[in-house]
Amino acid sequence: MSEIMVRVADLGVGGAEDVLVTVGLGSCVAIILHDATARVGGMAHVLLPSPALSRSADNPAKFPQLAVPRLVELMTARGASEKRLVARIAGGASMFANLAPAGAIQMGERNVVATRQALQASSVPLLAEAVGGDFGRTVRFFVADGRVEVSSVAHGIQPL
Amino acid sequence: MEDARGLKELQLDALREVANIGAGHAATALSQMTNQTIMISVPEVNVRPLEEVTDLVGSPDGVIAAVLMQMMGDLTGRTLVLFPEASAFRLCDILLGRPHGTTTEFGVMEQSGLKEVGNILVSAYMNALSDFMGMMLVPSVPGLVIDLAGAILTTTYLNFGHERDFVFCVETSFHVGGASERLQGHFLLLPDMPSLRAIFDAIRLP
Repeated sequence: MSEIMVRVADLGVGGAEDVLVTVGLGSCVAIILHDATARVGGMAHVLLPSPALSRSADNPAKFPQLAVPRLVELMTARGASEKRLVARIAGGASMFANLAPAGAIQMGERNVVATRQALQASSVPLLAEAVGGDFGRTVRFFVADGRVEVSSVAHGIQPL
Repeated sequence: MEDARGLKELQLDALREVANIGAGHAATALSQMTNQTIMISVPEVNVRPLEEVTDLVGSPDGVIAAVLMQMMGDLTGRTLVLFPEASAFRLCDILLGRPHGTTTEFGVMEQSGLKEVGNILVSAYMNALSDFMGMMLVPSVPGLVIDLAGAILTTTYLNFGHERDFVFCVETSFHVGGASERLQGHFLLLPDMPSLRAIFDAIRLP
């Protein structure tokens, strides 16, 4: 079994032998796509809810609306079927919430909303999510059986 | 200047000097609180893409205690003081008058102590900047988070900063002088881009 590290604003695709890992999600969101039959998995670590917030949009892994289609494309190229894809998401926390201006919508929440929209736009059903809260998360995705573990300093390891 | 990549050498020097004065005062405060000699490093100006801030200080999956304060008034931005987990435990031992190695988790007392230390250090840092530049700087209340370094750093920039591409900070490391102590940490100054002009004007840099 080999580990594929997905860094911030990065994405990765793997097969039955692989574990996709992303470390230290704060307000960022991990998007995890899986085709259980073909045993192909993909993960993206998105940073911003929209390319409009950035001067350049040349890295699709930075934004959910670009990352989801890119993951689908890379996964189908490895034998996944678009119709069989299912999604899980994790992250989108609000840390230092006491310092945010009252009533402001946190970046984590905006990332989660944008991610749900991006999945819907690509017709990928969202099976489960571990989002929000005030703590960081690390995600390990075992492509062989689709198992996802979300760990945090606050709550230890939990299945998603 | 579109982003921090456009900073000239003289401006980087000026920022390092400003950070040095702030960190020097904060280190003095920490030294008095802990009754230990504190050494500080030469400040470094780090400019990097937002996606690479996770390894700004140590490993992104290392646990750190971070106190964040917003800077308001004549300058806007943020200041962060970071302690790796082991150092934060040691600091709690010292602050709470416990024998070395007693603190092994962050309960209410420990968190409150760390937050207060962070508050004092960041306030000392900001006071020094304020005096040096003849500006009025107002700190917000402190926020404490103990979590993965990667999550804390990205969140600090994403949720509170305005730059989403190239970001920067002025970082000063500090550690306790004695060889037997393993207490270290970092001060990070994160001014907003428009405030850089105000800093340069205040110290009469063209």
